[in-house]
Amino acid sequence: MLTVEAIHTYYGKSHILHGVSLEVRPGEVVGLLGRNGVGKSTTLKTIMGLIHPTEGRIVFEGQPIARTAPHRLARLGIGYVPEDRRIFRLLTVMENLRTGLDRRGVTEERRNILLDKVYQSFPVLAERRYQAGGTLSGGEQQMLAIARAMMLEPKIILLDEPTEGLMPKMVAQIREIIGLLHRESVAILLVEQNVPLTLEVSDRIYIMEKGVVRHHAAAAALRSDDSVIHQYLGV
Amino acid sequence: MAEQLLIQLLIGLSSGMILALVASGLTLIFGIMDVVNFAHGELFMLGAYMGTTVLVTTGSFWLALLGASVAIALLGAALQITTLRPLVGRDPLTTILATFGISLVLQNYALWQYGPVARKIQEPITSQFQFFHIQFPWYRIVIAILSAAIIGALWLFLKYGKYGIWIRATTQDRIMASAMGIPVPLVHTAVFAIGSAMAAASGVLFGPLVGVNHAMGLDWILKAFIVVVVGGMGNLGGSILASLFVSLLEAFASLWVSPAQAVIVSFVVLILTLLFRPTGLFVPTPK
Ligand SMILES: Nc1ncnc2c1ncn2[C@@H]1O[C@H](COP(=O)(O)OP(=O)(O)O)[C@@H](O)[C@H]1O
Ligand SMILES: [Mg+2]
Repeated sequence: MLTVEAIHTYYGKSHILHGVSLEVRPGEVVGLLGRNGVGKSTTLKTIMGLIHPTEGRIVFEGQPIARTAPHRLARLGIGYVPEDRRIFRLLTVMENLRTGLDRRGVTEERRNILLDKVYQSFPVLAERRYQAGGTLSGGEQQMLAIARAMMLEPKIILLDEPTEGLMPKMVAQIREIIGLLHRESVAILLVEQNVPLTLEVSDRIYIMEKGVVRHHAAAAALRSDDSVIHQYLGV
Repeated sequence: MAEQLLIQLLIGLSSGMILALVASGLTLIFGIMDVVNFAHGELFMLGAYMGTTVLVTTGSFWLALLGASVAIALLGAALQITTLRPLVGRDPLTTILATFGISLVLQNYALWQYGPVARKIQEPITSQFQFFHIQFPWYRIVIAILSAAIIGALWLFLKYGKYGIWIRATTQDRIMASAMGIPVPLVHTAVFAIGSAMAAASGVLFGPLVGVNHAMGLDWILKAFIVVVVGGMGNLGGSILASLFVSLLEAFASLWVSPAQAVIVSFVVLILTLLFRPTGLFVPTPK
């Protein structure tokens, strides 16, 4: 469904991605691991069209998208939850959600179903729906960022370190929502520092080092043999 | 004395609302795309000319107001697409040069097309009312109310409309807005068109007070720039409050000094703001 083929990405003159390739199949949860600064976030940004690769191909559902504008990718069904959450701070929780809901073809009924679903998973968002996004705690902002992406009814969600800096209780909630999306057959490309969580929720894992994918395996294989994890991540 | 204060209050409030209309378009455009639109005054002036043309052909002031706003909105959209859209993400200096260039072109176009002699727009309401010992024109009250109504409509649209939320989201984080499916380039063009329409509307409304010529925008635009800075660049509510504040101060100051000297008040406010509160007078202190 999503295929990334040997992409090269630059920030100005610095060459960050040196031919990254990976694949996400429909409904699959794929983990992308690697130490800090190896280019995981850059990979997600490149897929989302926020930076364009200089070389290589990105194909989503048979369509080349390497030069497509982000708002078109969102319409095609790619949701993005950035590392720094990027909540619209002055918009209320409800308005943040509306940025994803106010699109063509969403009936009143559909809106309510979508809202009910996230309010059930994240009751705190229902409580704070008329509060400005900027007044939420870090964990609540993370939930809002995920809920906001869900409003697009995406076929795939790019999740960048959703549990970073969260308390264990919130981490459990994020794990639950990943499970829920998985059951609903939404594909997920998950970037994480939390290795045990990633191994637990993913079907397959890619490991990156210095701008390339070094290793690729089924999550089950890495769960039973942690030597590879040791080698690349030192944990 | 109390009488005189009330008169100045009325003058200050009515000028303040009109200034707020000019400043709103400017601050809206700056807020969303970091573009300081030096051509705002020329859009204001062309709006007034367009108003005279429609007025001559239709005889209706209100049609002139509407027609000029629509025409200048379209012109603004075309200017944005051709000159500003290609500059998105570049050094802000490039957009300053671009809008400055547009302003020169438009000003000379107006001079060439309409000539140097000022034209008159006849106000739709010429009656006056007695306010203590002076005769106050109803028309000034009407434009103050109309300005307030246009600003109020803009505010409601931004607050509750689907596209209003798109505009606010894009203003806050253009990259995340695009990742949420909001067509950011289109939103930029639309906002530029709305700001241009507001400039044109104020040009037509002002026409009867100042006479229409190719340089009519200069004074008001200068003041609009001042209140946009005083109100906190890009902050709509701040600009409106600053417009009222500066206009009231000026009105009261003219009790003691001549109106020409009272203009200095806005510069004093500007300098004090830049010295002591450069983020703007009417914005909460950033945390
Ligand atoms: N906006 C940027 N401009 C320049 N360099 C950047 C920028 N963002 C990230 N980098 C650099 O690119 C490299 C990869 O960053 P990133 O993709 O964020 O890594 P990761 O998410 O794996 O920690 C790092 O060396 C980082 O310093
Ligand atoms: Mg990262």
